[in-house]
Amino acid sequence: MKAWILRSFRKGIITTKFPKEKNEAASPWSTIPVHVSGSKDPYCPTGAINDGTVKADLCISCGMCYPEFEPSMDIRGSVSKLSVPVLKKSIRLYHLDAGTCGACNLEVMALAGPHYDMARLGISFTNTPRHADALLVTGVLAPGMMEPLKKAFDAMAAPKVVFAIGACAISGSLLGKSISEVLNADVTVPGCPPDPFAIMDAIQKARGRQ
Amino acid sequence: MKQTRFAYIDDGKSLHTLGRFSEVYMSQETKEVNDFRQERSSGKDSTKLSIFPYGPSSGGMVESVYFDILTEGEKIEDIRYDTDFKNRAIKFTGLSLEEALLRMERMNGVHAASYSSLFCQICEKSMDMEITDDIKNLRVLMMEAERISSHLFVVSRLTGGASQNIAHMNTLLLRENLLRAIATAFGHRYFFGVNRIGGIGRPVNVKELGEQVMRISEEYGEIYHTLMDSRVFIDRLDRSAIIKGEQSSGPVMRGSGIKRDGRSSHRYYEGVQFNVPTSNGGDALARFIVRSEEIAESASIIEQAISGIGDIKLDSQDVHAVEGIISGGFMETPSGDASLILKIKSGHLEGIGFRSPSVLNMEAFAESIHGNTFADFLFGYESLGIWISEMGDFQ
Repeated sequence: MKAWILRSFRKGIITTKFPKEKNEAASPWSTIPVHVSGSKDPYCPTGAINDGTVKADLCISCGMCYPEFEPSMDIRGSVSKLSVPVLKKSIRLYHLDAGTCGACNLEVMALAGPHYDMARLGISFTNTPRHADALLVTGVLAPGMMEPLKKAFDAMAAPKVVFAIGACAISGSLLGKSISEVLNADVTVPGCPPDPFAIMDAIQKARGRQ
Repeated sequence: MKQTRFAYIDDGKSLHTLGRFSEVYMSQETKEVNDFRQERSSGKDSTKLSIFPYGPSSGGMVESVYFDILTEGEKIEDIRYDTDFKNRAIKFTGLSLEEALLRMERMNGVHAASYSSLFCQICEKSMDMEITDDIKNLRVLMMEAERISSHLFVVSRLTGGASQNIAHMNTLLLRENLLRAIATAFGHRYFFGVNRIGGIGRPVNVKELGEQVMRISEEYGEIYHTLMDSRVFIDRLDRSAIIKGEQSSGPVMRGSGIKRDGRSSHRYYEGVQFNVPTSNGGDALARFIVRSEEIAESASIIEQAISGIGDIKLDSQDVHAVEGIISGGFMETPSGDASLILKIKSGHLEGIGFRSPSVLNMEAFAESIHGNTFADFLFGYESLGIWISEMGDFQ
């Protein structure tokens, strides 16, 4: 026990001050690329690039557009169609994996780790959709997850917010269908996978805290 | 196509199968592939048991998976699992090799470096492409950094489940530090887009990564030894989900005392000095010990790999057409050995056979959990490092 306590004191505080201060890290190619030189229409496997601009919802962070494009390092690329002030103090999240490669799941879970410590912002996970204010959906819509996704949404009490986290959930990316076949996402968080800072930023937007 | 215990391609006339840890496939006349699949059945009369349904989406699980847990009181008599809920049935055939590579990375995004390296290696071999030692060392570096990250995640699941909250947070802290160091060096926390057939796709900067990894490994060593002094933690893992024999993979197999690691016979690891940690218990504790000791070994491999990396050029080689070649290979991913066999024609995939380590480990888990209590379920399952994403079908 003593060893753990000493270890904690030695570590000090490592939690980010984001969103009050700028994010101290970002996964470069998970941010939306911007044109820097050369062709404005290099090969893109999802057709996300058109005349020098990138459709964030389609970008799968593959970097095939390098060297004409480079990462923007901007983690604030999420779009929220709504703002729910009643969730300003506290928001409970239910995460549902609709068909991921696993990476988005771990980036969502990273929010509970010591670097991000989402609890300091009144954000927490819940183990059942009945207690959730928001549904965080990751992955393409696998046929077998259509029913569980519908049931999870129906089980939630209003107000309820649906997040599509990552290119697969938003657009289906290379691997399948987007979740829009079953649910309309209120908030989209682009990236493959989105950086944890980008997910945190999106949650704050939906609560009207940005 | 469903995954079986072997990777195979059935082209209608012949069945091309790839054994474990092998790059050489065997061809034989097509027979029923179902021969490879062995149905498990419970010897118990299930009408006398309680069935506890768990999943497919439930708090506490990392991925979507469904279990029927058959119990008699607290004791688990059997489990049945269904991994098909999140089955993406990824399409590969008909695609160009570059397009297929992007999908292979996403077969299991958490082990993208291992899967993309395996895919590239098979394609390069089939096209007689010469890969520089710099690129080989870089791929080894990526895969070992991925191994540390993956093992730290498994340890965080075990410590979290056992309410060892300080150890849990410290492990997550180390993993996040590693992911940030990887992002700085490779431009992506999960190595997406780094590997290309014939080389790599963008500049990398690995100068500081070795030192950072060594620091993380040393810090984890302290956590590991402190955890091994915790009777509460050890008691949770001891004798949970005992697995013996070769019908498992990776740290699970090595945790049952079998000293077998695909890296020992893989061409990328020729000349690399490392030990293969084993433990004899076969339980969750043995797997925890193997993973913990592998973290230190991986840090040592990374040091060696970095010393073998010079100036990496981005001159990619052209993917040229080859006619009707079948080629296979294996890779020791953090969860165990994966086998992949490809049929390539005119720069496109005409057939694919794949077997992930999680297919073997899930079967082994289902066999092992009999007789354990409910509380052991989490430790048994999490200690295997199973990824449902890589168990899916492919086309």
